Amino acid sequence: MLIKLAFFNLWRNSRRTLLTLSAMVISAAMLILALGIFSGMFADMLASTTELYHGHIVISKRGYQDKRDLYTNFSADSKTLNLLKKQPYIQGISTRLRVFGLLSHREETRPAELLGVEFSHEAQVTTLKQKLIAGRFPDNFRPDEGIIGSTLARRLKIAPGQQLVFVTQAADGSIGNALFTVCGIFSSGDQIRDASLALVDQRWLQELMALPAVVHEIALRIDQPLLAADQATVLQKLLDSELTLGVLDVMDWGELLPQMQEAIASYDISRMILVLILYSAAGVGVLNTFYMSVMERSHEFGILLAIGMPPTRLRHLVLLESLILSVISVSCALLLGGILTMYMQQVGIDLSDQMGAVTYAGGTIAPHLRAVHELGNYMLPAISLLMVSLLASYFPARRASNLQPVDVIRGL
Amino acid sequence: MDTISFAWKNLWHHRRRTLITLLGISMALMLTQTLHNLAIGSYSQIIESGVRSGSGHFAIYHHGYRQDHDEKMTFAVGQLPHTLATSPHIEFALPRIHISGLAQSSHDSRAVAIMGINMVTEAVVNPLLRQLPQDQWLRAEQPRDALLGRRLLEELQIRLGQKLVLTVQDRDGNLVSELLRVRGIIDSRIKQIDSTLVMIGREKAAEITGLHGQIHELAIVLHNAGVMPQLHDEIGQRVSKNDNIELVAWQVSMPNLADAIRLDYASQNVMLVIILLIITIGIVNTLLMSVMERIHEFGIMLAMGATPLRLWQLILCESAILGAAAATFGTVLGSLSTWYLVEVGIDLRDFISENMEFGGVVFEPIIRATWTPMWMLESALYIVLLSIVAALYPAFKAARLSPVDAMRHS
Amino acid sequence: MIILLLILSTLCCSSSAASAENTVPNEQLQQLIQRVETQYNGDSAHALTTMSVSTSHWQRTLTMEFWSWQRERFLTRILRPAKEKGVGTLKIERKVWNYLPKVDRVIKIPSSMMGGAWMGSHITNDDLVKSSHVDEDYLFTLLHADEQRYQIECLPRPDSATVWGKLIYTIDRPTLTPKQIRYFDEDMLLVRTIFFDQLHQIDERIIPMRMRVQPADKPGEQTVLHYQSIEFDTGIGPEFFSLRNLKKH
Repeated sequence: MLIKLAFFNLWRNSRRTLLTLSAMVISAAMLILALGIFSGMFADMLASTTELYHGHIVISKRGYQDKRDLYTNFSADSKTLNLLKKQPYIQGISTRLRVFGLLSHREETRPAELLGVEFSHEAQVTTLKQKLIAGRFPDNFRPDEGIIGSTLARRLKIAPGQQLVFVTQAADGSIGNALFTVCGIFSSGDQIRDASLALVDQRWLQELMALPAVVHEIALRIDQPLLAADQATVLQKLLDSELTLGVLDVMDWGELLPQMQEAIASYDISRMILVLILYSAAGVGVLNTFYMSVMERSHEFGILLAIGMPPTRLRHLVLLESLILSVISVSCALLLGGILTMYMQQVGIDLSDQMGAVTYAGGTIAPHLRAVHELGNYMLPAISLLMVSLLASYFPARRASNLQPVDVIRGL
Repeated sequence: MDTISFAWKNLWHHRRRTLITLLGISMALMLTQTLHNLAIGSYSQIIESGVRSGSGHFAIYHHGYRQDHDEKMTFAVGQLPHTLATSPHIEFALPRIHISGLAQSSHDSRAVAIMGINMVTEAVVNPLLRQLPQDQWLRAEQPRDALLGRRLLEELQIRLGQKLVLTVQDRDGNLVSELLRVRGIIDSRIKQIDSTLVMIGREKAAEITGLHGQIHELAIVLHNAGVMPQLHDEIGQRVSKNDNIELVAWQVSMPNLADAIRLDYASQNVMLVIILLIITIGIVNTLLMSVMERIHEFGIMLAMGATPLRLWQLILCESAILGAAAATFGTVLGSLSTWYLVEVGIDLRDFISENMEFGGVVFEPIIRATWTPMWMLESALYIVLLSIVAALYPAFKAARLSPVDAMRHS
Repeated sequence: MIILLLILSTLCCSSSAASAENTVPNEQLQQLIQRVETQYNGDSAHALTTMSVSTSHWQRTLTMEFWSWQRERFLTRILRPAKEKGVGTLKIERKVWNYLPKVDRVIKIPSSMMGGAWMGSHITNDDLVKSSHVDEDYLFTLLHADEQRYQIECLPRPDSATVWGKLIYTIDRPTLTPKQIRYFDEDMLLVRTIFFDQLHQIDERIIPMRMRVQPADKPGEQTVLHYQSIEFDTGIGPEFFSLRNLKKH
């Protein structure tokens, strides 16, 4: 009965209802969008950091990531790889052999880090393929091709098509040395990688190093990078039980890049600060609208009281109206916010003509504002919108129920 | 005048509604201003920290050094630091030598980045050295003193006071080795710095490499970054005599930092636009509602002979007063919170344990706001303008009422 | 020979009492050390050596040909195994180059890589460049002397660019050849030891034909350098040590 009356009231004051509704919907939708953009920036940072070089999850022999010792390697056999391929959340698998040594071209010699990869697989895990500024990405047909960082290329004074010597101490103690052709140059925006990293064919490097069929790590791309820590735990259990090796460590990007975890912690804090600020702005607006819409109806409430409606019932009526209104607003806001976020996700704002890539906590952010969908970004505005509107109507509702009908009617 | 006093009376009559609207708008304005000031404050902190640990507000290099970091690209320092230091705007001009080499202990060896510095000025300016106690400074009378990153020290398995040998290439390509002693520890919490940086006296660095009177970088730190544009020409004239060197601002020498700030500012502007949108919605809504609720009242006014134009004026006037009051009040609140954040700031140490890095620069642990009076004024004026524009439609609607319909409206 | 006689006579004079030993003039100890340090050099030298390296990860043996001119220049070339045949190292004063026949390139070792192992052994590139200057970089004290051996402690001169805290030479008295050199860090903990044995007379010199480098923290590892043959004063001059000769197979 009360619900019917509440609906009737809202319907009768359709103009006011629409006004209140629109204020709430737009505010909340904007909040959702703002949080989406904020998360987008963060996800970008996360993605570009881990997808530039590390991968979301990295499997290596215990202790390898600490010291990067050449001999802490393992055989990525078909059993391991098949096991990984069966996991639905794994989208890319790249095995890597990592070697430090000297790259030399004519007079110039520089220390460098070589990653032996299968190029087609590497492209599924990391984004270096998209960062090429000259030449092309190697295919797997020619074993003696590789790509190097832009700063390294400049220091070695080398251009695509020219040959580099790589020298290092192979795993059998001999002097490993071989030529490879630089077929592409990448510029990732990460100064360290640009100045020291080269990617070469895995078999070529294995042969050079006298390390047949072993790798140092398996880098994975997964569908939800933010859940990498959980999936790493699951994967660790799986590997421990399936492969009796028991020596493989599964690390998520948070463990590989501890400074990123601090960035996450500060992300959570700054998201809270942002939410607080935006909500105060939006909340005050909603509160205001709501408060007014109840206050303006003092006359009406006076009459309702005068014709015998109990004050408690009146209070419930007001609260119920607010609840209905806010539930409708929340649903509309979620819809609108989702559409706006979707737009920002698909289109975004490109800033690349104004700036280059940016590093943050060891990560690199592409100069592009983009939104992502994240459950929390919808839940927070929705819940707080409900809270704010109920709060906003609680005080006027109490006031309305305390009105003296005579005063109210006389007052106008 | 008549309209204004009437509008005032009206606002006063509906003082509760007026007050709520006023409060809403001014709160929002305050938050916007505070957020903006805080962001600008943190940017200038990051820039300060960045230029002081990096290459200064301005840096002078040999042409091409910036791109290639070729150790052969040096220039004669001459009297440049002294002549520059005579400018009242320049706090310090820091000559630096950058070389790469090998640090060896009896246990291990590591590739390192060596920086030749002037300890006394660098200690005042460089945030990396801020926590360095004075008894760990490089001493002028002990040229073999060296400062090492904490991680590097651990990897070489040596301690304070112990020795290491630095091997570098001199001008002629010969390898030269030099004995040094660990005088102090650099603990920046940035892995890259802590595991590769070695700082030694500039004279020592010049002596080892044979770079007498030559440097790679002259970092110029200003008292106030605000004078950069005018100083660019001034310093530019002094260095233009030498064709081999170039003067660059920090935005050029540290593009990463500049971009980090630009990106953050861009995203912040998006946020501010969203906040302003939310405020706008709030104002339009409040005004529309207050007009709508008063249709009856307007009807009476029209029936008593008020012209639609006058009604229009009245509504605009009311919201202009409301907007102006809110802008004033909001700015006062905004100033108060800015004042607090300028004086006290937000202490990040409560939230994070380690140092934060942003654009390659260590964060200050306490974020402070900076005054931006022009921006605050602009945002306040925007609020007034917004209130007037927001009232146009309701005013237009009220002016077109027919008295009979209006009075019939409940 | 004059120096040798000088040393011999000095040592004979200051024979028995330990207190007297410590008063041996520093220059004479220095000359003794210099003699030990340059035992393989001569004015010029040409040698055939095998180097066996054992680490926890591999074992390998290289046969190398070796030329040197005073202390300043040397050139080595791998003869066996076939895979690495022709790989060469050239040192002139304080520069080091490697030649890689497989890719036909000469590479100059940058300063930042001088800490790297030379040919995979326990000898670093830096050892090659610097080690033979002990007599110039250290101050000497005679710790012990008896019929069989001398023990000489070498403390680095305050400003000499050396990483060690001290070295202790044990020298075979009758032949004046080194028996072992122990290397200590600044905390006076042993870091590595070099053993010498298999004495052999070449012309007028008696030299140990075998040298064994043993890192203290890895007891299972060692590098053994074995001289198959060595001849001195072969008449090659400094001009022999050129990049062109480095590349010659």
